[in-house]
Amino acid sequence: MRKQPLVPSGAVILVLMVGLWVPAHLAAQTPSREQVQEAARKASPISEAEAARIWEAEVAKKVAAATARVYDPEQRPIANPPRTSWGDPDLRGYYITATYTPLQRPKNVSKPLYTVEEAIIAFKTQAATDASADPAVVHYDWKEYGMEAWQSPVRPNRRTGLIVDPADGKLPPLTPEAQKRRAAAAALARTRDHQTGVSIFQNTYTRCLIGLGAAPLIRGGQPGSTEATSAGVTTEMQILQTPDHVVIVHQSNTDVRIIPLKAGSHLPPTVKQWYGDSRGHWEGNTLVVETTNFNDNFPNFQGSTDALRLVERFTVLDANTLRYEYTMTDPNTWTQPWSVEAPLPRIPPMLYEFACHEQNYGLINLVMGAQIRATEGVLDPRDPRVAGGNGGGDQ
Amino acid sequence: MRMGLRGVIAGSALVAVAVFWLAAIPAAGQAPAGFPRTPDGKPNLSGIWQAFNTANWDILAHQAQPGPRPELMGAWGAQPGGMGIVEGNEIPYRPEALAQKKKNLENRMNVKVANDPSRFDQGDPELQCYRPGVPRANYMPFPFQIFQDREQIMVVYEYKWSVRWIYMDATSEAQIDSWMGWSNGRWDGDTLVVDVTGFNGHTWLDRAGNFHSDALHVTERWTPTDAGHLMYEATLEDPKTFTRPWKMRFPIYRRVEPDLQLIEFNCVPFVEEMMYNPLGLYKPGPRKAK
Repeated sequence: MRKQPLVPSGAVILVLMVGLWVPAHLAAQTPSREQVQEAARKASPISEAEAARIWEAEVAKKVAAATARVYDPEQRPIANPPRTSWGDPDLRGYYITATYTPLQRPKNVSKPLYTVEEAIIAFKTQAATDASADPAVVHYDWKEYGMEAWQSPVRPNRRTGLIVDPADGKLPPLTPEAQKRRAAAAALARTRDHQTGVSIFQNTYTRCLIGLGAAPLIRGGQPGSTEATSAGVTTEMQILQTPDHVVIVHQSNTDVRIIPLKAGSHLPPTVKQWYGDSRGHWEGNTLVVETTNFNDNFPNFQGSTDALRLVERFTVLDANTLRYEYTMTDPNTWTQPWSVEAPLPRIPPMLYEFACHEQNYGLINLVMGAQIRATEGVLDPRDPRVAGGNGGGDQ
Repeated sequence: MRMGLRGVIAGSALVAVAVFWLAAIPAAGQAPAGFPRTPDGKPNLSGIWQAFNTANWDILAHQAQPGPRPELMGAWGAQPGGMGIVEGNEIPYRPEALAQKKKNLENRMNVKVANDPSRFDQGDPELQCYRPGVPRANYMPFPFQIFQDREQIMVVYEYKWSVRWIYMDATSEAQIDSWMGWSNGRWDGDTLVVDVTGFNGHTWLDRAGNFHSDALHVTERWTPTDAGHLMYEATLEDPKTFTRPWKMRFPIYRRVEPDLQLIEFNCVPFVEEMMYNPLGLYKPGPRKAK
């Protein structure tokens, strides 16, 4: 399962995982991964080879179009962006936060910028990987719905990684305290509930507590990235403006951030929120949003704490793109602040209600599946092979 | 049923509602003095608003009652009395729907966690932190914020950060069924009129089990009455549930505290123990008192 489903769903993951791991002598009880796939292929109206041909042609077409919109970080923002009726730069509209560019510069790359040709090759490689999923055996075939990043206005990027500071394109070193926290979190993630065999309650997305990636909005593409990312589906977002507020709605979980432009100081530090407490202001043509008061149990990016301070900058780059920059500061976690720069391409409207918790069948399926397997005696529920710890929520 | 007192209360509520009805609504097109306006002359509804009534307990007139778990919750959990918000204090249920309403009240605290739509058959959706739907979102005991733009009016409810997009530029049919419905708006003089359809039929109207089906069509009328108030009127049509359209009406108050902002009410973590513990699923991390 390469991509997170629209509604978290662990059932198929479970089937595949168990299929993958089941010992040979139990094969009569439990179909093998190959058997499951073979049955799915027989039921599929289209062969794997046919599907590959269709999507190869489609990728070629999309990549050809994408070459016309390679993002150049050296491009200057237009001097006179469109303005609202009350005179602020007009950021209103819909954008996509998906990207193929990894957060950190890949190990085998030594320069900050690709040439245009290299950027296209990197994009094409990712698009081809996304398009190569066998439609018969994936849970959702996103490309069938036009939901893959390469099918959207996502732009190939000359940046080799999104981090622009530190200059080496890498996350700064963790503080000793953060290293301890990360080790403890990793140990916790290895434990599983003895009754259910899963450790699902570590994952805020599987639980539908919050969606994926509304603050900060862009976290780097999967390839080469060391962290779970916001790239993939449900990466659409909307910006609505009034003279006093900016509202950002993210498609994932329909998460909302209300950003007052004229309010006073932040909420008292005792008041924490999942998406923090934001204050915005205009610096020239750039909207600057400062966010603090994050929950201490927020799945803070890279394991950060409630001392996190996020500063985001939104600038109209051209008619079809915003430039999005952010800086993360948390002295409890990183030895220095770090910063990202990325394009936010416009997309057509609109967003839809994403009622994640209301229809969270995935969480139940994941655990019930594990319990049924345990009853059948196929596997001990404590066996870490019974189910992945992340449900459908992570990639 | 609770006869005498309830009857008296309902009767006096009826009179009160009727008086209120006649007095409260200015004719469409009349501009209340002091209400903010957008550059194109429409009333500007942007701001934080809240209804102050007890309709989320029961949209009909009701007396005070102990809450569902008095042995635990005492006065905290008790239901305050209220005048109701329904015109004529009567909901014209079809006979089978009235039976369902009574069943809903009995089962309002049932929680069924299932991996199919049967999970929506029982219990008040609010108890399980589901989106409240329309019109209920407007009279829950939480503020909500309106962001008004020319082509779109966005309403963000503090409860669960439920969002509605009211499309003002072009009327479109509901593209999907949803909890909060699909909203098309237009101006009738100074009244914002919103047609809401596309409901999934899982939402209720209150904690007393009043409900509707997926055939619900709500026509909302938001009318500024003075600088600090809106009169809200909703007409509910649902031939699967009701024998005729009926109306509810109540004032909505502008919250005027300086620098007021909505505070997240993400209730999902608050219901996990209730919903998942019976399945043996609830394994919280360490809790911290705030």
